[in-house]
Amino acid sequence: MTVSTSHRPTASRSPAPSPITGRAASTPRAKRRKWATKGHLIAASLVTLAFVSPVYLTVVNAFKPQDQIVSDPTALPAPPTIQNLTDALSRPDHIIQIGLANSLVTVVASVILIIPIGAASSFWLSRRSALLQRIVLAVFGAGLMIPPSVILLPTIRILTFLQLDHTYAGLVLSNIGGGYLAFAVFVYSGFLRSIPGEIIEAATVDGAGTLRIWWKIVMPLLRPATATVTIFLSLWIWNDFMNPQFILGPLHGQTITTGLYQSLGQFSTNYAQLFGVMLLAAVIPVAGYLFLQKQFIAGLTSGASK
Amino acid sequence: MTTRARPRRGDLALGSIAVLALGLYALFIVVPVIMSAWKSLTDENPLNPQTHFVGLDNYAEMMHDSALSDSLTFTLLLTAAVTIVANTAGIGFAMLLNKTSLSYRVMRTVAFLPQVLSGVIVAFLWRYILAQDGLLNDVLTSTGITDGPITWLGTPHLAMFSVGLVATWVLTGFTTVVHLAALQSIPVELYQAARVDGAGRRQQFRHITFPMVAPGTTISVTISMITMLKLYDIIAVLTSGGPSDSTQSTALYIIKCAFTDNRFGYASTVAMLFLALSAIIALSVTGLLRRREENL
Repeated sequence: MTVSTSHRPTASRSPAPSPITGRAASTPRAKRRKWATKGHLIAASLVTLAFVSPVYLTVVNAFKPQDQIVSDPTALPAPPTIQNLTDALSRPDHIIQIGLANSLVTVVASVILIIPIGAASSFWLSRRSALLQRIVLAVFGAGLMIPPSVILLPTIRILTFLQLDHTYAGLVLSNIGGGYLAFAVFVYSGFLRSIPGEIIEAATVDGAGTLRIWWKIVMPLLRPATATVTIFLSLWIWNDFMNPQFILGPLHGQTITTGLYQSLGQFSTNYAQLFGVMLLAAVIPVAGYLFLQKQFIAGLTSGASK
Repeated sequence: MTTRARPRRGDLALGSIAVLALGLYALFIVVPVIMSAWKSLTDENPLNPQTHFVGLDNYAEMMHDSALSDSLTFTLLLTAAVTIVANTAGIGFAMLLNKTSLSYRVMRTVAFLPQVLSGVIVAFLWRYILAQDGLLNDVLTSTGITDGPITWLGTPHLAMFSVGLVATWVLTGFTTVVHLAALQSIPVELYQAARVDGAGRRQQFRHITFPMVAPGTTISVTISMITMLKLYDIIAVLTSGGPSDSTQSTALYIIKCAFTDNRFGYASTVAMLFLALSAIIALSVTGLLRRREENL
């Protein structure tokens, strides 16, 4: 692909490229390989640039005054100013602080409840017949495919019936019951299959109760699965827009995504404010990702290989 | 597990947690689907005190709803295009970034970054880039590539393209990382053997790389597709369905029928159609990809 095109010029310069593969057969091979490596690196860097340049824009412009953003949006801030950030944080409606706090509460409450419920149900399920396992997993699997817009309206109705509409409790409850729990059960069930039954048998012989086995033996073995589920659920729930927008509604507090949606709509031309607010809203998930990226990728990998 | 454990202390506790889980799932997924199915047969409207059973009237109306067929066409086209482009690019980028040195590891980390940002941030960022006086037009006009600014978000076809571009930008990070993981599970010996047999780069890709990443591709394509069928936040912020409804995805249309037009009954009917369609697409594509894996 891009690799081969990027090193082709060097290949043709070398004296005797093999007719089939374009591989140099004689002495300047080392030199050719060095060029190929360099070409590869350049191609890879260009690809990376395509991913990162919009993010770069957010970061540099968050530290520039409006006139500098307009005159030269791609330049580094000279000198950097934190005015945009302090402006965003000192807004009278405190939309950043309130949004971050509300998102944090929603994510923590949802994840703390989904993890034990998902893990315990998966362990319970792993001890049932193969048929029951298959049926329950199929039911949960269907839930992962249902577009949220399809069930949004009845979900709000159910929350209204429970008198939990426009509340964080309602949002958290629908997070738990919705597709997120299904995801947790899926990941845990996959991991449980790789745990040898003898470990649990041995503990049973030793007289441990099921609840104790689950908490003392199974949960520690499931730690990688717990890491995966926690990371993905936190990210999805943090970034969720539709549920907070319609379940909480505009007047009942904001998460960071709905708060952003509201505040950024006002600054369509005040770029300094736009970038300041965006940077503050993005900093927690991005920092979390950079900090946990090894586990993140490992979680993705374990999903992909199954 | 080989032997079924005797019922013990604690089994009851775990069992009741499992029942709770299934109950919550039923309450927030199964019951809503059934309620949607029932409401699709009514004319429920929060502005009208009385709801009537209207049978298949909504379904009949749906057949002649051109806004709906436009939204379905756009959604399916967008889903197909973005899934194909993002996964093709994902395989390519994965091959490009499949090296162990530090600089490549850093690049891999960065490639996933668009996935970490919320759709709302992504859409605002791209709205700034794609605006009439935005960065992209600045670059294009100042370098003389175009004569004047292009209305990326203001004309129907370009707006459809822009939505696709932004969604592809987000999804490709994911498809790249999944394919990278699949690539790393391919034994090096296979390539060595192929080289001994005189296989070129293209043949190695066709006979080793492409078939061997199949499990990764299955996951990556399925998730891309589901994500695109669900896509709401990016479109809501980037174009809010405009101009003249050209980028109104079915998810947006359902929300519009329900919350702007207050037609709960009809919104449920559209939701039912969309649910059936999503299920058929997801199941048939996954089935197809699975069969490809088994044919290895």
